Amino acid sequence: MTAGNPSALNANLIESLSMVMVITSVAAVELRRLRFSAVAYLCQALLMVSLLVAFAAVNPALYWWAGTALLTKAVLTPWFLFRSLRGTDDRELKPVIGLGPSVIVAGLLMLGFFHLTHSQGTLLAPSGMAQLEVFRTNLAVASTVFALGLYAVLTRRDAIKTVIGLCLLENAVHLSLVSLAPELPETAVFGVATEVVVTVYLLLYVIGGVREQFGTTDTFQLRELRR
Amino acid sequence: MTTETSIIPAVTFLLPIVAGAPVLLWKRIDRRVQQVLPILTAALVTAMAAWMASKALGGVVLTTWNNELRVDALSALMVSVIAVIALLASVYSVRYLRLEGLIQRVGAEAAAGRTRIFYGLLLWFFGTMLWGCVTNNVVMLYVAIEATTLTSGLLVAFYWDRRALEAGYKYLMLLTIGITFALFGCVLLYAAAAATKQLSGSNALLISEVRSVAHLIPGGTAALAVAFLVIGFGTKAGIAPFHPWLPDAHAEAPTPVSALLSGVMIKMALYALARTVSIFYPSWPVVSVFLVALGVFSMVLGIVMAMTQDDLKRLLAYSSVSQMGYVLAGVGLGTYLGCYGGLFHLLNHALYKSMLFLSVGAVIHATGARRITQLGGLRHRMPVTSACFLLGTLAIAGFPPLNGFWSKLTIYLALAKAGLWWAAILAVATGFLTMAVMVRAGTRVFWGAPRAAAVAQPPVREVPALMWLPMVALAALCLLLGVYPQLAYPLLDRAAAVLATLGA
Repeated sequence: MTAGNPSALNANLIESLSMVMVITSVAAVELRRLRFSAVAYLCQALLMVSLLVAFAAVNPALYWWAGTALLTKAVLTPWFLFRSLRGTDDRELKPVIGLGPSVIVAGLLMLGFFHLTHSQGTLLAPSGMAQLEVFRTNLAVASTVFALGLYAVLTRRDAIKTVIGLCLLENAVHLSLVSLAPELPETAVFGVATEVVVTVYLLLYVIGGVREQFGTTDTFQLRELRR
Repeated sequence: MTTETSIIPAVTFLLPIVAGAPVLLWKRIDRRVQQVLPILTAALVTAMAAWMASKALGGVVLTTWNNELRVDALSALMVSVIAVIALLASVYSVRYLRLEGLIQRVGAEAAAGRTRIFYGLLLWFFGTMLWGCVTNNVVMLYVAIEATTLTSGLLVAFYWDRRALEAGYKYLMLLTIGITFALFGCVLLYAAAAATKQLSGSNALLISEVRSVAHLIPGGTAALAVAFLVIGFGTKAGIAPFHPWLPDAHAEAPTPVSALLSGVMIKMALYALARTVSIFYPSWPVVSVFLVALGVFSMVLGIVMAMTQDDLKRLLAYSSVSQMGYVLAGVGLGTYLGCYGGLFHLLNHALYKSMLFLSVGAVIHATGARRITQLGGLRHRMPVTSACFLLGTLAIAGFPPLNGFWSKLTIYLALAKAGLWWAAILAVATGFLTMAVMVRAGTRVFWGAPRAAAVAQPPVREVPALMWLPMVALAALCLLLGVYPQLAYPLLDRAAAVLATLGA
């Protein structure tokens, strides 16, 4: 670690922000109206940016990360999402797994990852700083959100919802880098973040085509190639 | 081994990106310019690749921007393969992507803009693939590989019909998620290398430097990094069980793009896998057994799936899954012989799989059909295409004296020499299955009873020279490397030495 004293970190603030971030992620996955879901995603992205700012107290380079994340994840991505939802019926198609089981899954994931990051911390993040409590919490939260995003991609029928899941997953990756590789050069972080935005843009563009051709964004209808 | 600073590695990948920008951005660019620019760029890149290969043969490693880019014999081999296939695919595109056909599919107004996007993205696709092969930065390796997904995503969905859109959506979604695991792997590699405190600052990002401290990385972290890298790059390389995106994308993309996806893109992902994971071979040789097992699983599953396909392009795509299994089994072995066989097979597969895809494209171009059950007896109508396809099927099946025979034989010998008899036996069995599947498809389509497509009016004719010339060039290369396999030896020898870190 280049600068700062870990005790300068506001552990309470970081932990509360992390908890709220998990809750907004669950909301983004579970809300049935896609617009509300996109709003929940926006909140999640903003929370992630605030977390980066909180961590920047020990590592000023993270201010740059926060800036990159704000632009790509909290401005551009939601803009693309809202644009693709404009003028459409935004009620989500019934998912494969409903609300009740999903909340249980989210809870179990959280517990599992907390246990994992606290028992196997050295394995996951081989830098000295990452052994501190806040960084372990951060890693656990990032893993939970990552798994939630993956869960959304796998169990949701609506293509737009799967994109929101992908965005959650990628936000988690960005957040996890704070613990895994805090000294990663800004160019690398910028490259990673830019690609995510381009991916989301291209996916929504292709989904626009799907809506045009199939009349729906139901991924269950995408089975031409299995014939 | 000496290092030399040179700007050429940077020019190699920046040139196609710079050339692609005006095609994509300038709306009124002439159609001729769109067609010629990729050919010209690929020809220049081929020349630069040849120069870099000659440098590599002299034992020189080229570096740019403080070791950020690094071209050794392995990178030079990859760049050469990409450049040659890209050149031939661009020549083929000129006549394959007919404006009339496109107008029928998407309408006159959209068609003009569509070709611009095609050629622009094609150039960017070349550029990003080349970037992945010359970079020495482990995070940029991930960025480059994800960039190849992004530049090729719209090429897969190019025809914008139901099938193409489905393939495009799956392609972008599955590959992005898969490759995210590779990002974790790359970051873990970097963090673990930095934690050894042997490397200063951003040197821990450089693959060539990480290699020197690999033995200091704790076993658990190494295992986790290897698992993430295998899932991530393995998805992109079409290794089973991470392959479900591959047949859809490779079958629905326009044929020159299929040739690039199957011929080179999946190889550069495998290159990335080998480049990163081979770091751990000397300290944890068990990694190599895991990779061989995965390779064998992939080769068997791929060919079993190929057996049930009626669609020619899907059949070829599944056979790519199987053939990538051979490459992984060879390279994953980590011995010199294994790496030599794996890389030789990588080169051979790039040549004949591209040729097979281009031949099927010629059939589609001439008949409009691509299902085996709809085709038959095209031998008299399309002599050049049928000769090329036949040569391709024999090469992929490993008949002597074609190139596929030598690389498969090397892999069998390497597996046997390493004592992995089960793998060698399964690989030989897969070889026989491949022969059955491919030769059966070839004989039905070109020999067999003439079907609707062959007796249609107006009669089916051979494709134009600009389409068959690239096929014939690839066929000639397959034959040449089959009769004189020693031609590839000097470069493959040095490239295999880069990867081979296990004894015997």
